[in-house]
Amino acid sequence: MRLPLTALLLATNLAVAADLSVTDARARAVPPTAEISAAFMTLTNNANEDVALVSAQSSVAESVELHTNSMTDGKMKMRRIDQIELPAQQSTKLEPGGLHIMLIGLKKPLKMGETVDLELSFSDGTNETMNIPVEHVMTGMKKGMH
Amino acid sequence: MRNWILFSALGLAVVAGAYLSFELFSPKTPLPRYAQSSIGGDFTLRSVDGEISLSDYLGEVVMVYFGFMSCPDVCPTSMGVMGTAIKQLSPAQQQKVRGLFISVDPQRDTPEELHAYTQYFSDRIFGATGTQPQIDAIIKQYGAYYSFVPMEDSALGYTVDHSARIYLIDPQGNLADVLAHDINPVELHERLAAYL
Repeated sequence: MRLPLTALLLATNLAVAADLSVTDARARAVPPTAEISAAFMTLTNNANEDVALVSAQSSVAESVELHTNSMTDGKMKMRRIDQIELPAQQSTKLEPGGLHIMLIGLKKPLKMGETVDLELSFSDGTNETMNIPVEHVMTGMKKGMH
Repeated sequence: MRNWILFSALGLAVVAGAYLSFELFSPKTPLPRYAQSSIGGDFTLRSVDGEISLSDYLGEVVMVYFGFMSCPDVCPTSMGVMGTAIKQLSPAQQQKVRGLFISVDPQRDTPEELHAYTQYFSDRIFGATGTQPQIDAIIKQYGAYYSFVPMEDSALGYTVDHSARIYLIDPQGNLADVLAHDINPVELHERLAAYL
């Protein structure tokens, strides 16, 4: 009797937790010698359950990690983080100066106009694969300026 | 007797306060003078062209920035801001401006790589680095900050915490302004143009 109920609940959770939308996704174009770049995006969790982005992969980089920047006492500090929490019914922005997906060990230069494949993995076991455009560092920066 | 002293002291304080306010907040002075005299100055480093000194660029406006190439976000942003501000100048003006990206990470960043990195953002941005003691001395000179932080949990191995500022050197070689790394490029352009 319990099993079908659990199965139903599980199925419901999976379907609900995967209700994410990704907007404004872009990777940064970098100089040909650069081995590191970053990807930014807005992740909106439309579900009623919190979920987290736990890892990412791309064919253009040897390692992909989640990082965050924080400015304290005028010092910019970057740290790797295990996950990016995506609270229910909220949008979380990965943007310059803050959270970002770090592409480490680039296998080829990221040039403007190209696309980069990215696979995001979430805490509920779902994945999302996308192709994101490579953009100039100054694109979309105006909002963050002070 | 006491009242007379008190009123004199108050009067003096008011006059002193007024004078200080005028000096500090006068639009002609970008920085309070006490700060201006204590940081900045000449230095020598290595670029792809060999040894360079800040005094080599007297007559130009120089934007000094301390960073490192394995910085995926803040440093490219700063270079992008500087490059965009430079592009808004006329070709003649551009020749009187230069960006100088000083890498605090000589272990990973060579002068040749720095040159390729900075030239990507603008042909008026150049790179330089030195020995760690040389870097430390210049960082101190400019009131900047950096610190190597091991990251055992990252493929990076280590990162560098650093102050993220653009140091504006006037054509006389003096530190004239300290700006946020993500200053609006239009504003940065205006500050550059003011010296040209």
